[in-house]
Amino acid sequence: MAVALQILASGFAAGTVYGLVAVGHSLVFRLTGVVHFAFGELIALGVFVTLFVAAGSGPVSQTSVGGGRFVLALGVGLLVTAAASAGAYFLAIEPYRARGSTIGWVGASLAVAFAVRTLLVVFFDRPAYVFPDPLPFRRIGSGGFWHVGGATVQVRSIFVAAAALGLAALGVRLLQRTRFGRALEAIAQDYDAAMIVGLPVARLVGIAFALAGVWAGLAAILAAPSAAFDVDAAARYGLYGLLAAAVVWFDARRALAVGIALGLIQATVSSAHLGDASLGPAYRDVIPLALGLLLFAWRAHGAAELVE
Amino acid sequence: MSTLAALAEAGRETRASWRRRTTLGTAAFAVAAIVPFAIGDARTADLADGLYLACAAVGLALAVGVAGLPCLAQGAFVAVGAVAAAHLLAHGMPTAVAALAGALAGGLAGGLVGAAFARLPRAGFAAATWIVSWLVAFGLQSVPSMLGGSKGIVVAGGPSPAQHYEVALGLTALAVLGYAALARSPFGLALAAAREREPAARALGVPTTRLRAAAVAAAGAVAGLSGALAVQLAGVGDPARYGPFLSFKLFVVVLVGGGLAALGPPAGVVVLGVLSLAADALGSLEHVAAAQAHELLAAIMLLGIVSLGWDGIVRPAGRDRRAGDQAVPARAAPASLSAFSIGKRFGSLAAAEDVSLIVEPGRITALVGPNGSGKTTVLRLLAGALAPDSGRIDRAEGGVARTLQSTAVFSTLTRVEHLLVASSPRRRRAGFLRSLLATPQARAEEAAFVTEARRVLARFGLAAHADIRAGELPVSEQRLLMLAAAYATGASILLVDEPTAGASATESTRVIEQLRSLREEGLGLLVVEHNLGVVRRLADRIVVLDAGRVIAQGTPDEVAADERVRAVYLGRQSL
Repeated sequence: MAVALQILASGFAAGTVYGLVAVGHSLVFRLTGVVHFAFGELIALGVFVTLFVAAGSGPVSQTSVGGGRFVLALGVGLLVTAAASAGAYFLAIEPYRARGSTIGWVGASLAVAFAVRTLLVVFFDRPAYVFPDPLPFRRIGSGGFWHVGGATVQVRSIFVAAAALGLAALGVRLLQRTRFGRALEAIAQDYDAAMIVGLPVARLVGIAFALAGVWAGLAAILAAPSAAFDVDAAARYGLYGLLAAAVVWFDARRALAVGIALGLIQATVSSAHLGDASLGPAYRDVIPLALGLLLFAWRAHGAAELVE
Repeated sequence: MSTLAALAEAGRETRASWRRRTTLGTAAFAVAAIVPFAIGDARTADLADGLYLACAAVGLALAVGVAGLPCLAQGAFVAVGAVAAAHLLAHGMPTAVAALAGALAGGLAGGLVGAAFARLPRAGFAAATWIVSWLVAFGLQSVPSMLGGSKGIVVAGGPSPAQHYEVALGLTALAVLGYAALARSPFGLALAAAREREPAARALGVPTTRLRAAAVAAAGAVAGLSGALAVQLAGVGDPARYGPFLSFKLFVVVLVGGGLAALGPPAGVVVLGVLSLAADALGSLEHVAAAQAHELLAAIMLLGIVSLGWDGIVRPAGRDRRAGDQAVPARAAPASLSAFSIGKRFGSLAAAEDVSLIVEPGRITALVGPNGSGKTTVLRLLAGALAPDSGRIDRAEGGVARTLQSTAVFSTLTRVEHLLVASSPRRRRAGFLRSLLATPQARAEEAAFVTEARRVLARFGLAAHADIRAGELPVSEQRLLMLAAAYATGASILLVDEPTAGASATESTRVIEQLRSLREEGLGLLVVEHNLGVVRRLADRIVVLDAGRVIAQGTPDEVAADERVRAVYLGRQSL
């Protein structure tokens, strides 16, 4: 029971971030028909730029950054993510999408992913980074942890889950209630028709790319202080988000749910044990990804909407 | 045919198809073969490693170039081959056994991935293979039993670097030849057709999903083989070598070199290798680790290549096709196609309900009805592209072919190649292995079908410029070409969707003449047509659909006299 609660808390927090990235993947795919392979790396860019503005590239402790400095850093980080996302769309994705060259956009978005990853690894060359935490969670409970019925729950993880769900709800509201959202819906329904009726399609899709990056970047930044952070951690967000979105063929709502499920599976694999037998953290990526791929393959054979 | 005669024949064919690039390739091979004598062991090992990479890239080109599948898991297949081989080698198995096991394991992995995901649209296939790539990388890093975890598996002994180099060179040459043979075989042509226009390829009876899965399996086998040998060359199975970057690098190599030409991937490896040396030099100045410099280099190269819209260094060569006089298998015997009370629903919409009709040999049946009355759905049901929810369809296996509403040609294929795609299900000696080895029987059969293709083209008035790409044809000829392709399947029943849509009066007349001549030959035709003038000139029998139901059928005169038809469909216009 205690273990289940612990798994639920930590898995849910990671899962909501995967889910939010999955929603971003779904939005991008619905609008353009492309898979955004650089999503995770652009999130990493946002996180590292935030870190750099907040604390420089030297060693950081969790408490060393004040609130004002952090808000500034967050703003700069998100701005860079937005600009990089929109830039990646205009420079590397749209030209090939327009030409109908699948191999082209696949190659271009992967190229962006590896270019960003390399630059980040070169500039932030330590194996892992501690991310400053502007919010004083360590003062809540005992040093930032609650002990509930034998389980130890990180207070932060509840905050991350709540914040990510809040962001998801806000995103849905934005898409359903605003002119911008309706315009995106029109583009998703029929790209060419939206262009013919005079919508500034390229600009709107560029903004959507930027927003998808900001949304996921914000979630990742909120989650970053919970554990050591490196480029691979963000690449995982991109990857799990992609898997969650692909399994339900880029249906945003269900993608969010699958993302959360992946997070829970991951937490279960990391910490659950039956008697003496346990899988442990070594399998924390292998098993969720393998299960997700199996589900994807099964759906690829069953669901008509997935077939060209 | 005796072995000697077969060899002489093969020699003649080789001479006939010899080109400048063949000379260049052979010369490069000869020069490359003596390189180890001029340089040291360390350099030779590096070059051998590059050749194994080239070999895996040639395999990938079959999936990426010929089949048009954005396969991002080739590095994972290399890894699978390496794991299988490393375990066997560590237990003292000989190199050849380990290499074979690697190829088998890679092929199996490729086959699994292909079977699981080849049905998906390309974006989905790219996503799935990318995740596979990461999954294998995570597996190797975190599960020590796979490749020894962070320490790796030590694989001592085995051939010297120079021996490895010669093996790698030979395998790359074989992979290049195998690629060339497959690309021009019915297997490669059908894959190319599916790449250009999948629905049209399916309508001609091409099993697109199965062929794609086979292409990915073949790519995986080549990757596994090179992974198995490369791991012995390296002396250690190191999980860090098989990250997603390897898949990306192979993808870059194929795109840079050109995925549609056999010599493209080796050219891509050469370019990447030369630039990597430059990147190492630059990286050492800036204190950047070699691995990172290479990643950045590959990424920048790819961005440059794709943004220039470049098709790669080596372009596909035109293919001469030898004609032969062997007999081809006969066309399907005349047969009729009957549908009994078939129905199909899409959600709440009844696209076809209680439809019964018969297509008889030597007769043209026209299927008419207002827009949205379910004509195309009925056509797809009859062709077997859709399964009916109710009712029964009697059709001879392989006896039905369909053309699509739009003029949908495979733009990079020649006219002759279109017909070869269509006739491929009639081949008896064009399986994967025969195609790969280009056996004498396979080549003789190919020549016979080329002769037949030219004959069919002449029959449809398309004989001129039979070897130019179909995308360069005027629309009217594209229309006839797809009709000719449907005929070349050998089917006795043709289902023809809107053969004159958008055609001028002269073009329509040409199409009508062809359809009539097919009727004379004894084929049964079902023609969906909007133009009532055309229907009147063509049809022996008319079936009228409205809202998915048959509301009248009979001779043109009977249908024209039917009050319901006038009311529902024709309005005041009379036939």
